[in-house]
Amino acid sequence: MAHCERASKPLLQCLRTTYTRSLPAVQARGFQSSAAVAEAQAEQTQPFHKNPDPSLVSSPRLERRLMRQGTNPIGSRRRRAALQSSANLPFEQLPYQCFQEARKVLLEDRTEKLKEIESMRQKIARVEAQTVEEAGGEQVQKSRVRAMQLHLERLKIHADINDPLVKRKFEDGLGDMSKPIYRFLADRKWREYRRKILVQRITQMNVVPDVLPHCDPIVETKLYFNKRQVQPGDYVEARVSTEAPKLDIQMFERGEKLVTIAVVDPDVPNVEADSFDFKMHYLAVNVPISAVNTKVDLAQLAADSQVVLPWLPPVAQKGSPYHRLSVFIMEQKDSQPLDFAAVKAKETDRDNTLLRTLQARYHLKAIGAHLFRSQWDETTLEVMKEIGYSGADFELRRKRVEPLPYKRRNPSSFR
Amino acid sequence: MLQPRLLAPMRALERAIAPSLRSVQNAYRPQSILPRSLTASLSVPKTTPSIPRTLLPFSQVRFASHASQGTANRHSRDPAGKRLGAKRTGGEYVVPGCIIFRQRGSKWFPGDNCAMGRDHTIYATQAGYVRYYLDPERHPERRYIGVVFEKEGRLPHPRNAPSRRRLNMVTTPRAEPVTHQSDLVASIDENGTQVGSVEAVNAESGPQLRPGYMYREANWVIGRAAEKAGITAKSYDRNNRWLAWRKRQARAERAAQMKSLKGKKKAPKKAK
Repeated sequence: MAHCERASKPLLQCLRTTYTRSLPAVQARGFQSSAAVAEAQAEQTQPFHKNPDPSLVSSPRLERRLMRQGTNPIGSRRRRAALQSSANLPFEQLPYQCFQEARKVLLEDRTEKLKEIESMRQKIARVEAQTVEEAGGEQVQKSRVRAMQLHLERLKIHADINDPLVKRKFEDGLGDMSKPIYRFLADRKWREYRRKILVQRITQMNVVPDVLPHCDPIVETKLYFNKRQVQPGDYVEARVSTEAPKLDIQMFERGEKLVTIAVVDPDVPNVEADSFDFKMHYLAVNVPISAVNTKVDLAQLAADSQVVLPWLPPVAQKGSPYHRLSVFIMEQKDSQPLDFAAVKAKETDRDNTLLRTLQARYHLKAIGAHLFRSQWDETTLEVMKEIGYSGADFELRRKRVEPLPYKRRNPSSFR
Repeated sequence: MLQPRLLAPMRALERAIAPSLRSVQNAYRPQSILPRSLTASLSVPKTTPSIPRTLLPFSQVRFASHASQGTANRHSRDPAGKRLGAKRTGGEYVVPGCIIFRQRGSKWFPGDNCAMGRDHTIYATQAGYVRYYLDPERHPERRYIGVVFEKEGRLPHPRNAPSRRRLNMVTTPRAEPVTHQSDLVASIDENGTQVGSVEAVNAESGPQLRPGYMYREANWVIGRAAEKAGITAKSYDRNNRWLAWRKRQARAERAAQMKSLKGKKKAPKKAK
């Protein structure tokens, strides 16, 4: 770098920055022109520090203000700071030859994939239009269509998976879950870590053989008490869990599903039988979920068409081992609604309803799970009194185990 | 002990040379009787055993490493037995903590209602009947020791069956935790010295005889002396960097002082 260039670099940078700030409509938002226009008008009226842009803000104070307003800043702070001073040219105008050549390859691949998708769609239509005799049997036709549809889905993902903008959008959390590529990416990300944690928790804490014989989670489930997320297996205070939690059930498949949501506690102590009982803390049927419609507030579900057993706050008697409150999302067969009145009439008993029984009775299939735990804490007593819990004045103590009688050794048998 | 590798070729060599040697020895024998009585350094007898002397040292040396390999009656030196093995057979009744199996390494693994101790000892965590079993679904090769509650119970349970557990607890009226602060006090009467706890109300009344034969107030009362006297310290403000600097400076000064003292102490020692 020549001396004059080095000397003028800060000045140039400064100039560029002011240029970017002053003309955000043209430069700062090269990707989404329509969004940028609306924003530019808002920004022109107000200075940046009054109305910070979530994709450009880099000072912690402004970030905090944004977060208080409810919008999270996009991407990393480093990237946002870099974007402030960059010309933010769209990819087509970047002056790197190798990069442009690589883009050409990717674009070619994408057009090829789009052609394949079109042809595959036509093929599927052709096979479906065939009569059973022409296709060679109903079963053959069905399996062919099924295989072709699977291939079509795969093609849709392959068409977009190399697009850097798709990747960026997904990483910024702006992905549109109605599109297969974002669903695919979200599923992959979930399976990489969060799902493993969940499966580990429900198997190590023995929820899976205790409550249900088997569960293969295919939907991501998040649980919130008072807007605070609960990790699978966390302890939740009794006061916090008096209100029904909110669920965020993210499906990674197309379409809508009707699910049954059950919260079961398999650790209710039964002193007479010297064992543990089950308790159904919540049961709701016919809850619609889809890839875009993920939020389920257990307290807000319709009492006359969905909630069979309303939320019962979990409390753990003093001295009792921790209670595992397991949340299960169960898919209803063929996404057909259950007869709510019949279910409501039948399932009235919280204590003697096993989830295994329900699963067999209504042909349910567990597709999602979550877990939190409760134990005796300072707030439990108040909650017990509020809900009229009968065993509030008692605590559990370890039963003394009678030692084995002393076995007299016969000295004559010793050497 | 001997070195067979070296010996085998040597023996073959010896065998090949032996007939000629013998003949040589026989030939010289009449002559050799006479000089042997005179001196051993004669030339004639030296030549005759020249070949065997080169061969023999290999077969007769015993190195130190060989001696350390052991003696003939090794079993006489065996250590005492460690009394390992099964302490409870299958079907025997055990209570929590009862040792079922002692072992070196994990020859057996803890199954249902059992646990493994620090030295791989298997012990029961529940009262019941001991079972020795295999669980190929859990692990194809491991052998397990478990405890079942019923006398006729079988292990392993099916993998998807709910776990069988016992509560092992009884209900008692809930004990309220003591809220007020109490303190240890010693009292002397005809029965001797007794150390007991005193409620906060009494403890505050003044100095009492405390363990260690001291009439004094409780530790926590002493700790609150400043509070009683109304002495307040300014609360530390993280953003007050001037205060932080002064504190840091004071600490550094004190550290320097201690260091200098340390050096002074050492100096007379060296002088001695």
